[in-house]
Amino acid sequence: MVSLTRFATRGLLAAALSGLLAHGAAAEEIIFKDQENREVKLAKAAERIVSIVIPMASTVIALDGGTKKLVGMNPTAKSAVLEGILSKIFPETKDIPSDVTAPNFVPNIEALTATNPDLVIQWGGRGNDIVAPITNAGLNAMLILYGTEQLTRDYMTMTSRAIGKPERIKELVEWRDRVQKDIEAKAKAIPQDKKPSTLYIARALSEIATTGTKGSYNAWYMELVGGRNASAELNGTVTINKEQIAQWDPEIIFLNAFEAKLDVNWVYNDPILSLTKAARNKRVYKMPLGGYRWDPPNQESPLAWMWTANLTQPDIFKYDLRAEMKTAYKTLYNYDITDADIDSILWMKEQSGSANYAQFKAK
Amino acid sequence: MAALTQDEAAPMVRRAHLARQTLVFAGLLALFAVAFVVSLCVGRFSVPATRALELIWLGATDPWRELTTIEERIVLLVRAPRVVLAALAGAGLALSGAALQGVFRNPLVSPDILGISQGAAFGGALGIMLGIWGFPLISMVFISGMAAVILVGLISRINGRSETITVILSGLVVSSMFSAVVSLLQFVADPNTSLPAIVYWLMGSFATATWERTLIAAPGLIIGGVLLWMLRFRLNILSLDEAEAQSLGARTSRERWLVFGLIAVIVGSQVAVSGIIGWIGIVIPHACRLLVGHDHRALLPASVVLGAGFMVIIDTLARTATAAEIPLGVITALVGAPIFALLLRNHYRERNGS
Repeated sequence: MVSLTRFATRGLLAAALSGLLAHGAAAEEIIFKDQENREVKLAKAAERIVSIVIPMASTVIALDGGTKKLVGMNPTAKSAVLEGILSKIFPETKDIPSDVTAPNFVPNIEALTATNPDLVIQWGGRGNDIVAPITNAGLNAMLILYGTEQLTRDYMTMTSRAIGKPERIKELVEWRDRVQKDIEAKAKAIPQDKKPSTLYIARALSEIATTGTKGSYNAWYMELVGGRNASAELNGTVTINKEQIAQWDPEIIFLNAFEAKLDVNWVYNDPILSLTKAARNKRVYKMPLGGYRWDPPNQESPLAWMWTANLTQPDIFKYDLRAEMKTAYKTLYNYDITDADIDSILWMKEQSGSANYAQFKAK
Repeated sequence: MAALTQDEAAPMVRRAHLARQTLVFAGLLALFAVAFVVSLCVGRFSVPATRALELIWLGATDPWRELTTIEERIVLLVRAPRVVLAALAGAGLALSGAALQGVFRNPLVSPDILGISQGAAFGGALGIMLGIWGFPLISMVFISGMAAVILVGLISRINGRSETITVILSGLVVSSMFSAVVSLLQFVADPNTSLPAIVYWLMGSFATATWERTLIAAPGLIIGGVLLWMLRFRLNILSLDEAEAQSLGARTSRERWLVFGLIAVIVGSQVAVSGIIGWIGIVIPHACRLLVGHDHRALLPASVVLGAGFMVIIDTLARTATAAEIPLGVITALVGAPIFALLLRNHYRERNGS
């Protein structure tokens, strides 16, 4: 963890330095290296951005503080926007085109070019086939990598500079850093045998899938807040059976926010899963869906960590999540979130019966 | 003199044949029984074998008992339906393969050839994309599988009759049409939720087996299987050459479609609950032909027993080898293909030798 924070400062320093250099070279030109180490050169701050990467669409909105610069996104990102609160904060998001790419990140070049983007955000590490069409069409691609908090901060910083608002990212990264350090400090005292085994269910309805520890953001923050990943022995996100879950017998189960029809009753009504420690102690929770789904890294991640922390170690973490959400939504979207908004983001109606969930009730 | 020896020899040959058949069937049944019981006793959740056997006994003698402990539920609600479903599906697929190879007089056809699997896969992929689960999904899969066979029937029927070759080619056409649509659905599917679900389902799995799903699939598998078994004499005739079969009084075209219809019911029911499982329908009937010969009266039951046993073994490997479930299609191909290659080589070496 120490090395991670050191990395963070070093990354920030490097970013600040290269920013200075870029400013020195030309008044408006923005040049930086993306996470695949390619040089991205913008004549001026990007005004029209397409995000093929799913969570980055809502991050661009948060970084810009509005929707003007986002001109295209992934259909799956759009479904999150429409199901979540962003469509309420920014009603115009429903008109942003999502035909620029297939959900599997293969761009539709004609539709993409038609939006006339000056920057396209695409996944790196998934081969050149999803990148070449963009660059061949003469568009600017910025490649980012998935997995760790550090990568997330770096690509958010990069994007913020690309849209000509380098000052904006500072408060967001500082917030992430502050919350992470606060959690780390409090979690340090937790002895190993007081860490509950927690299971994140990545998919439930058609098949059950969960994730190992290596390279998993979910496992990272479950352990950050003083939990143990019950499925640590796995490698990547794979399909498992209920018998395996019974064998692990997790003390807490987190359900994904991706499957709209999934709720905690999926566990309580199952003959096997209802006998796990998590179900018997009512410690089953579905991840919230705010400006984006809280499971993967995104602009609201610190809220996701605080929510997870309060539920995993209720004696140690007592964040006032509602107050934190009010501040965060004001900073991120300049929006005064209502109590009803928070209730629906946190699924208060669906899971108010779960253990330790009353703490999130409106006072 | 010569006539006399032949008369004396015939019953002896028949008796030797009968003894051999009995022995083979006893062996196959024993294999199946062992696989079935062992499979109920092993799994990721450790239940001592003696306790598991006791629970099976309790479950069999008093099936409506309230199940309260996790051990009971694991053995009787997770493993038992899964093993029963795997056995039924393996039996159905092997039986369908044996019957189809007879009807087409072609050793290389498998139940996929009529477009049923791909048709059913289309129904499943569409259902998953639309967010449909459970019984409606299963019925959707079944209906689209049947639709594929009907489509094959319509395409291959030219001037009131359909020839074997046009049936195979129509099956190919319908299959590739449906698989193209499945690819299209994968292309537009959500990479976080429905895409992995579709991909996994297409590779076949019994991971989601429950008694409910087993009971949904069982009628189709059992009724289809029993009716095919009743057609065993017809299958012997249909596997003759067309003119010969007709001279024996068979109405080949009608009977062939009856067989196809039954196979569609069997394969549709199987795909609906466990996705596409390849290789069983081709490897098992061939192995059985080597064991019991080409007579469908022996071949069909042998395929049923060996198919069931083989599928149970494969599925047990899939769910116990690692913490992650291994897709069945991967294991059936990895195990099935080399066995098939060996069988083929032995078969042709012997034939060339004699």
